[in-house]
Amino acid sequence: MSDVQSVIRREEWDDVVLLHILTNSVDAVSAAAIEHACTQMKPITVLDFADVAFINSAGISVLLKFVVAARKNGYKVFCLHVSPHHQKIFKMVEMTRFMPMIEEQDLAAYTNTQQSSISNS
Amino acid sequence: MNRIHLNIPSDLVFERVVRASAAELGSTMGFPRERVEDLKLAVSEAVTNAIEHGGGGMVGSVEVIFSLHADQLEVEIIDHGKGIEHFNTERRVVEEDNLESGMLRGFGSYLISELVDQYEVQSSGTGTSLRLRIFKAK
Repeated sequence: MSDVQSVIRREEWDDVVLLHILTNSVDAVSAAAIEHACTQMKPITVLDFADVAFINSAGISVLLKFVVAARKNGYKVFCLHVSPHHQKIFKMVEMTRFMPMIEEQDLAAYTNTQQSSISNS
Repeated sequence: MNRIHLNIPSDLVFERVVRASAAELGSTMGFPRERVEDLKLAVSEAVTNAIEHGGGGMVGSVEVIFSLHADQLEVEIIDHGKGIEHFNTERRVVEEDNLESGMLRGFGSYLISELVDQYEVQSSGTGTSLRLRIFKAK
């Protein structure tokens, strides 16, 4: 239904990739496009849900595919800007065991540290 | 009591139409925002199940009947598939084994059972009816 570029926007640092999910509905219709858009992960892959208004179990399924793919490479997946309702749903299915939530300031601190170490080296 | 009857093709894109209708009705009836979110997700899961397992293909259709009561919204989702043996709400959490084996679906019925106040399932060889009730105050 939608092309890859309209579904995900990437931001990258050294070993971090921040994937902003641009569709507001992570469901069976958008799942394939999201899955296709998120093939190039980094050791720390962060999914940004700031624009996501709805997630159902089909959407959770595609998120779990990230987790499986990341773990095969020894990578970790985190989620950012998860709404209170979606935090409740993630806790209900124990999603956060595999995709912990990260705070924006922690991510910023980590990427700033990385950029400092790169410029000092 | 007011009733609204939708009949959608068995195509997942139309799940969004039913979900949007449920959200609008919940808001109009004065449901708290969090209850509207619960309603949207429960209806989405039920309609997705009906589309995926209730006959499938554009030739099929799914019926959705909203019944608006003073204190609750009742949503009946009817498909014309082969029926289900039982409504499995047992798959509750993401399990390590499921990740390894690629079993990444199966939370829908569990989510429905947790998010609505009451539900009833009737199924036969000619279709399944799932009736959800969600009250304004939980």
